[in-house]
Amino acid sequence: MAVSVVDETAETRSAAAAAPVPVEAGAVSVVDDALYQRLAEMAAARADEMGPGHPELRPAAEQALYHEARLLDDRRYRAWLDRFTPDCVYWVPLDLSGDPREQVSYLLDDRRRMADRIGLLETGWAHAQNPPSRTVRTVSNVEAWPLDGGETRVRCSVVTWEYRRGRLTPFASRNDYVLAALGDDWAIRVKIVGLVDCDGDVPKFSFVL
Amino acid sequence: MIDLEGLVEPHRVHRSIYVDPDVFAAEMDRVFGGAWVYLAHESQVPEPNDFVTARLGLRAVIVTRDSDGELHALFNRCSHRASTVCQQECGAARNFQCSYHGWTYSNRGDLVNVPFAEGYPDGFDQAGHGLRQVPRLGTYRGLVFATLNPDAPSLADWLGPAAALIDEFVDRSPGGRIELRNRQRMIYKGNWKLAWDNAADGLHPTFAHRSFLVLNERKHGGARSLSQFKANPDDTGMYGDDLGHGHMFVDQRPGLTRSFWETQRPVPGREWYAERVRSEYPDSSAEVLEMAPGSMVNLSIFPNLLIKGNHFEVVDPISVNETRLHTWVAAAAGAPEEVNVMRMRIAEDFPSLGNPDDLELFERCQQGLGIAEIEWVDMSKGLGHPNQQVLDNGVCRGPVTHEGPMRGYIRAWLELMESDPPRTVAGPGPVPCETAG
Repeated sequence: MAVSVVDETAETRSAAAAAPVPVEAGAVSVVDDALYQRLAEMAAARADEMGPGHPELRPAAEQALYHEARLLDDRRYRAWLDRFTPDCVYWVPLDLSGDPREQVSYLLDDRRRMADRIGLLETGWAHAQNPPSRTVRTVSNVEAWPLDGGETRVRCSVVTWEYRRGRLTPFASRNDYVLAALGDDWAIRVKIVGLVDCDGDVPKFSFVL
Repeated sequence: MIDLEGLVEPHRVHRSIYVDPDVFAAEMDRVFGGAWVYLAHESQVPEPNDFVTARLGLRAVIVTRDSDGELHALFNRCSHRASTVCQQECGAARNFQCSYHGWTYSNRGDLVNVPFAEGYPDGFDQAGHGLRQVPRLGTYRGLVFATLNPDAPSLADWLGPAAALIDEFVDRSPGGRIELRNRQRMIYKGNWKLAWDNAADGLHPTFAHRSFLVLNERKHGGARSLSQFKANPDDTGMYGDDLGHGHMFVDQRPGLTRSFWETQRPVPGREWYAERVRSEYPDSSAEVLEMAPGSMVNLSIFPNLLIKGNHFEVVDPISVNETRLHTWVAAAAGAPEEVNVMRMRIAEDFPSLGNPDDLELFERCQQGLGIAEIEWVDMSKGLGHPNQQVLDNGVCRGPVTHEGPMRGYIRAWLELMESDPPRTVAGPGPVPCETAG
């Protein structure tokens, strides 16, 4: 086996370096055509009128989204990942009504690639996150509707401010969630980040939206 | 007037080519006006009356396919008072009407209606007031190029040895065609040539993409995407070519120890789609799966098209220190649907995990270049090295970490900058489309 030629002690390694996390058991993608079909239908119905949200679901939905926002702003990425179901999808589309089977996105991750995204930061060599972004996100306009099987559909507006290397950059999005559970054990099955400028000039980003 | 004297030496370039606004303005005239520039792909305008907008340097252009199926490159500028006449990035339209005073043009550029026409002086030539056009248009394997330079070589001569490499890329599709789907679009705060330098830079992956290398080793093991850069890449047989006219080529294939499919990092849906391919194509599943990953080559068509993986990355300069990259994903025409679904996910993999580190480093370079007293940027690796060889077709080949391809494009850049080629625009009327090869 070839030996790395790079000096492990170089100062260019960021403070984010963490011990390797073992490969998750059963790290096999759950993405199949049925899951894509669900995402495509969600995208196609994005602009449909859903009627007023259910006020009795909103407080619990808000608690989940606020907690998620705090985990991300605090860069507790492993704890964030633990709030996703094994069959989850995290999707940042370029075309808000497109079918992900036919189009490329900024990213469309299953749990395995989410773990990779976090693992990349944990190597300490992700230059685009050295120094890391500081973020603060405001979650508002939260609406929630019940779905079959105990799931909850949630929509909200999010403004994320990223500060890094002297620049403050806003990212505005309307997010869609399918929550598999509410309450203390809240869990995300689907998260879709619909950036308002998704088909425009998005500044480079390397933190988790 | 800019003074180009002394900005390029055999082994180094002057910082001003990255930071001087006057150099940038001259580049937009002479390089992006004088060279053949990639505008679009025919798959973006497949049907009569389709159009897609593009930029020729800073000039707004509409690439149209008229009702007879002919291609045109029309300037997006009303002949009356200069407003752009097309606001959408793509679509279908027989006519473009200027919103300001209602002048209306066909998708051939002819001025078909001037409202309240009474009052224009005698001799007002409506036919002569069509949309202006790029005077030379050419296609090769579906790629649409244009130039303002009447003296530019034929498109076939301009592409030279790059044409056969375009063939290789396109012919990975069983249908012998690619279809561009949609694009990722990102901006970095740096000069456009930083992306150009990077495209043939076989020295950077070991360091710039170390996070990606380490991640893959920890999580997925074995020879995975980019692991050919783990140790000295020049020990692998990978090479870089100076193709002439500023075109560059990097071939990573000699560095692979396994198939493209086995080397590809696992992406969402890999298992389910691979299983479907294996059941639907039991006798050829290995060949089918091999179409999904990227091409493992970087082919750079000067001055604005970087073909990497399965991507057409279009370099779109905004200002001397700001650049937009459009990363179009190419689907393989005629391939099973599963292949192209996986291509979409693969097209998000390195671009979202690896490219941010490139863009970060471009921005750090632009910062460093801001120090006026430190004038030079080194580009000497491989200069005069015995491992350089010149092939029969004139291609100059060297080990992948050598900087010969970079020096080659800088020579092409300097030739255009110094010769200040003539640039014209065409009036209304037919502009023949050259078909190269």
